[in-house]
Amino acid sequence: MRETKLKILQYITGIALFFFVGTHLIISHLGSEEVTEWTSVADRAANSGWLVFYIILLLFGLYHGIHGLRTIILEALPRLSVKSLDFTLVIIGLAIFGYALYIPVSAF
Amino acid sequence: MTTNATSGENRHLPNRLGIKGWIWGGNYTIERYLYTLHRITGLGLLLYITLHLVMNGFRLGGAESWTDLMSFFSGPGFKFGEYLVMAAFIIHALNGGRLILQHLGYTLGKPKPPVYPYVDSLRRRRPILWIMLFIIAALAIYVLVEFVT
Repeated sequence: MRETKLKILQYITGIALFFFVGTHLIISHLGSEEVTEWTSVADRAANSGWLVFYIILLLFGLYHGIHGLRTIILEALPRLSVKSLDFTLVIIGLAIFGYALYIPVSAF
Repeated sequence: MTTNATSGENRHLPNRLGIKGWIWGGNYTIERYLYTLHRITGLGLLLYITLHLVMNGFRLGGAESWTDLMSFFSGPGFKFGEYLVMAAFIIHALNGGRLILQHLGYTLGKPKPPVYPYVDSLRRRRPILWIMLFIIAALAIYVLVEFVT
């Protein structure tokens, strides 16, 4: 049951990321080069809407990526302790989340 | 009596192929290679996100640090890499959508009686696969044109 819930969460974050990452890529990578200029970056950093957008993107992206990595690791190394792997991945995920959250929050 | 599939006179491929099974494990269909592609694009995107987050840290260094970084990433090699990331996202997102629909049973079609010639579920849902591949190709070409122009 736990695995099913984790998988359903993987699907939900995947669907949400389709829209969040899609928006981010269209604006930041397909848009004009002005978007990546310092003034534009600083403007977005000061906007609370963008802050919420990036935090949700970060949270969903980290869960989706780390759960996907967990699936691949367990498939490649089936004898690995699931509890140890889960613990390690949660620690890594929290560390990345803390670092990545600090950047937009401190720039806000 | 139990027999080990990997020992004895009749050697078979083990049930669990691991990473090697991504490449070849018998008579694979296109869906199996999409499974491999889904994992490769997923790992690629995860690597890119990690680098992207590290790169974002330069924002804390101020305008000069950020401008220097952006000029470093403006070369053609990095632009090509950026296109690969976009293409990986398109493949991963659309194939992921197909997998979600199929795992939840929405695109499996109605059950049919097992009358010869048998049509298995993979072949019955193949039109969805071709439509998805067409959309992936169209979007990848569109993004390429956007990058070039």
